[in-house]
Amino acid sequence: MLDPYIPLVLMFALAFGFAAFSVAIAPLVGPRRYNKAKLDAYECGIEPSPQPVGGGGRMPVAYYLTAMMFILFDIEMVFLFPYAVSADALGLYGVVAVILFILTFGFADLYVWRRGGFDWD
Amino acid sequence: MNETARLIADDPIWLILIKVVGTFAFLVVMTLLTIWAERRVIGRMQQRPGPNRAGPFGMLQSLADGLKLAFKEDIRPVMADKWIYILAPVVSATPALVAFSVIPVGGRVTIFGEPTALQLVELPVSLLVVLAAASVGVYGIVLAGWSSGSPYPLLGALRSAAQVISYEIAMGLSFIAVILYAGTLSTSGIVAAQQNGWFFALLPFSFLVYAIAMVGETNRAPFDLPEAESELVGGFHTEYSSLKFALFFLAEYINMVTVSALATTLFLGGWHAPWPLYLIGDGVLNTGWWPVLWFLGKTLFFLFVFVWLRGTLPRLRYDQFMNLGWKVLVPLSLVWICAVTAIRGIREADLLGSQQFLFIGGGIVVLLLLVAFLVPDRQPPEQEQQEPVAPLSGGGYPVPPLDLKVPESPRETRVSATSGTRSRLPEAGQEPTSSTKEAPDGND
Amino acid sequence: MGVVARTGVPDRHSEVLAQQSTDMPPIAYAAVAPVLIVLVAACLGVLVEAFVPRRQRWAVQVALSLLTVVCAGAALIRHAREINTGGTTFADTVAVGPATLFLWGTLLALALGAILLIADRSIEPGGAFVAETNAASGGTASRHPADAPGAASAEVMDRASASVVGMRTEVFPLVLFSLGGMMVFCAANDLLTMFVALEVLSLPLYLLCGLARRRRLLSQEAAVKYFLLGAFASAFFLYGLALLYGYAGSVKFSDIADATAGSLRSDTLLFAGLGLVVMGLLFKGSVGPFHLWTPDVYHGAPTAVTGFMAACTKVAAFGGLLRLLHVAFRASSWEWHWVLWSVAVLSMVIGVVSGLTQRDLKRMIAYSSIAHAGFLMVGAITLTERGLSATLFYLLAYGFTTLAVFGTIGLVRTSEGEATHLSDWAGLAKRSPVVATVFTFLLLALAGIPATSGFMGKFAVFSAAFSAGMGPLVVIALLASALAAFIYLRVIVLMFFNDPAPDGPTVSVPGAFTTAAITLGVVVTLLLGLVPMLALDWASVGGFVS
Repeated sequence: MLDPYIPLVLMFALAFGFAAFSVAIAPLVGPRRYNKAKLDAYECGIEPSPQPVGGGGRMPVAYYLTAMMFILFDIEMVFLFPYAVSADALGLYGVVAVILFILTFGFADLYVWRRGGFDWD
Repeated sequence: MNETARLIADDPIWLILIKVVGTFAFLVVMTLLTIWAERRVIGRMQQRPGPNRAGPFGMLQSLADGLKLAFKEDIRPVMADKWIYILAPVVSATPALVAFSVIPVGGRVTIFGEPTALQLVELPVSLLVVLAAASVGVYGIVLAGWSSGSPYPLLGALRSAAQVISYEIAMGLSFIAVILYAGTLSTSGIVAAQQNGWFFALLPFSFLVYAIAMVGETNRAPFDLPEAESELVGGFHTEYSSLKFALFFLAEYINMVTVSALATTLFLGGWHAPWPLYLIGDGVLNTGWWPVLWFLGKTLFFLFVFVWLRGTLPRLRYDQFMNLGWKVLVPLSLVWICAVTAIRGIREADLLGSQQFLFIGGGIVVLLLLVAFLVPDRQPPEQEQQEPVAPLSGGGYPVPPLDLKVPESPRETRVSATSGTRSRLPEAGQEPTSSTKEAPDGND
Repeated sequence: MGVVARTGVPDRHSEVLAQQSTDMPPIAYAAVAPVLIVLVAACLGVLVEAFVPRRQRWAVQVALSLLTVVCAGAALIRHAREINTGGTTFADTVAVGPATLFLWGTLLALALGAILLIADRSIEPGGAFVAETNAASGGTASRHPADAPGAASAEVMDRASASVVGMRTEVFPLVLFSLGGMMVFCAANDLLTMFVALEVLSLPLYLLCGLARRRRLLSQEAAVKYFLLGAFASAFFLYGLALLYGYAGSVKFSDIADATAGSLRSDTLLFAGLGLVVMGLLFKGSVGPFHLWTPDVYHGAPTAVTGFMAACTKVAAFGGLLRLLHVAFRASSWEWHWVLWSVAVLSMVIGVVSGLTQRDLKRMIAYSSIAHAGFLMVGAITLTERGLSATLFYLLAYGFTTLAVFGTIGLVRTSEGEATHLSDWAGLAKRSPVVATVFTFLLLALAGIPATSGFMGKFAVFSAAFSAGMGPLVVIALLASALAAFIYLRVIVLMFFNDPAPDGPTVSVPGAFTTAAITLGVVVTLLLGLVPMLALDWASVGGFVS
């Protein structure tokens, strides 16, 4: 008898090993004929604009909103999972509680929606 | 602890190793086959043969491509963040391979005299493993774009990450109704719960949401905005070449296989034989190695749909895509979950007889339909711009006025006298108010 | 074998659950009606924000908030009339007893005043809060130019935000959410409920602090500072909660009380846990050495919000602290007594000494509130019935006075906004004798001069502490309040016996809302000073239940 996670760990080890091996072998087997143009950032042939890693830390703020909404909804989802598993045991009480939970969450959702939190222009 | 878990817990280590290697090989072969099949099918749809030279029907084409990639030059842009740039493909490919291991490919079989189940891992939280792996995969995309030190990958990565996480919500919400009926998060438990009826018929809306979300989640057409060639070159992997690029490619196709297999597991009865077949010989087709066939058939069907979609549909615009996710799939999923929960709760608690239940349910549906017809299609946008607004400087950033006239070159002026090139600046004369709103006034 | 056990857990667990199917716990709706009304109205407020057109939002929100507080108050009174000894509800997570009802009444009354202050749009045209986004720029809240610091100078931002008419009406639902959290906080019967309530009351406050229309940078700094330190305090609270759970095996107050009553368990867990939990509460109450956020936040937040924070948060924090000490830790009081003893002394000393050196009125009142927190601590650690009722009375009296003080501070303005520097207030009596007189009266109440509620509160607390055998502490407290009087006398002298500066600030004529709020505060201060038995009787009806 083995821990049920052991196959998962082995699979992970194999997958990671394969990926790491591929990445490691790539520069060794391929040709190495570098020149300046190849090593520059690719911008469809025009002279690349000097760009620090990560665009210098400035990104459109809408992505930030999306990330926040993701966290909120992900947490909602994570709350619903255990409820769904034990719904039978919780009976009508669980039903009422979960619907109230989703409803309350829905208010905030509606607010964000109406105020353009989901809009992309 | 269900039977599958018991069977798998008894596996000796050599059997586990065989299964691990087998799963890995299966995924890689599926990737190669899917790429080949995609090109062939797309080719047929576009009235051309597709790859047909390497091997029978060109089946070895993707293998040849893979080998070719290995011997290509490995380039790392000078601006790239070295270690993260190298790590990103690994982060992307590893969880893709791991996620598949919780999928039940078949039921009880005997391998070399050892009874076991055709599934690598059986956990009480298998579905969470899939979601977790999908979430970790996003890191690979973001890190790839971030570390490349180049604008296109960065934009592609942002788009891609926003897209994947948006559709992950819809995907996770579509699971909930399934879990509600199966009463477990374990994949084999969900398959077992579908013995007498597949969930896609019981929960059609969940199936629909999952089917859409799985396409969005894997960044496939018509939701392939992160790799929109016309806008973003190659998306987050623009700067990658050689085997690093191959790993991203591999991850994308393995993810396709995984979500298809998951769709099979959750909604199409997993490895259970389809309708007329399971009647044969008292369910003999649901035992032994037969289930692998049904499982593969269903999974390949989904993969074919992926290709079909790509061959048929044009790419969505980004705002349309996000609207679909956040304004349609997620809210409707929540409503659907509420409805399923309520219906189930009411039936479990025996509050209503089934006839009463039907009447009331029908009444609610009719009411909803009436409301839906009465609500006008689209309200006029709220008139919020009308309030008196003092001139703003845009927070100190130099902002050009909206009606900025670009001096035209003399040659163009001559041409525009006849043709319509001047219509590029349509609002210039029509909205004199906009200049007072947006003009920089930082010095007053 | 361990494998079987581990993999078997979820299945067996669900079997167990299936056997004893959960029923809905009984809920005493009449008892918790005030909280439910406030929280439901807060949700409605969010919907109002979403669906009511912008022009009508302010009116709808103000009406909704005021109506909510009044309805909740009515429900409270109706329940208080029939109440006997109280009891617990929501499966023992919430306990409503006489003392809790008194705290709820105090909170609701103070919130009424605070909402009136917040709703005012006459003093600062359009309201004291940052305006709605310029809708033309895309509709997403964070694209407001005033929210893009860094490149913009403070003046540009200020002018930009001051020039846009209208205010964020989200303020009202935020206040209601915060109020709901405070009410639950005073009634929580286990540490987890208390923690959730703590977060519900804190998070809206962090936001509210950052919404000032003028001096955006200062306001945002206050919000961030409050948020960071508050997050630390919450983390301390949570850590202490975990330790107490380790000690008692339960997070319920009554179980903890049982565990402390006589056991051989590890005292280390108990005192470490108690210390951390109390630290979180003292932070919220801006007591003693945990006060560091107070001056900056009081200074930076919009004045109406400062009033709300100073009055209601203090009531909630001390309400929670009183409940915790009275219900859960009474039996072990000998061990922790001296620690809170020194905290009280420290708080008084810090408040008084720093308050004497301040040059800004809002900061000065902030330090004064720290000193008052010290006085309140004296009452809080007097674990007798008398001590409890005296502290409750003190909270009520102090809350109304502070609310009126901040309402008055908001009236004195220059073109740049509120003039809170002390020198701006020189000779105010010559410009506006009424405002100066009212402010003098309020300051005297803070100082504890007879015929004001401040005197009665201090008297009640100190005499209760004295009869509980804390003579030395009372002496220190008396000395501190004598010293503290100088803080207030300095301002009074400045207002009445100095000449006004030629280009000094003007005194705005307050609108109906602010007038009502200030009048409410002044009248209650006077009334409780003359007839304290009105509230003292109610405060001493009974203690906490668990």
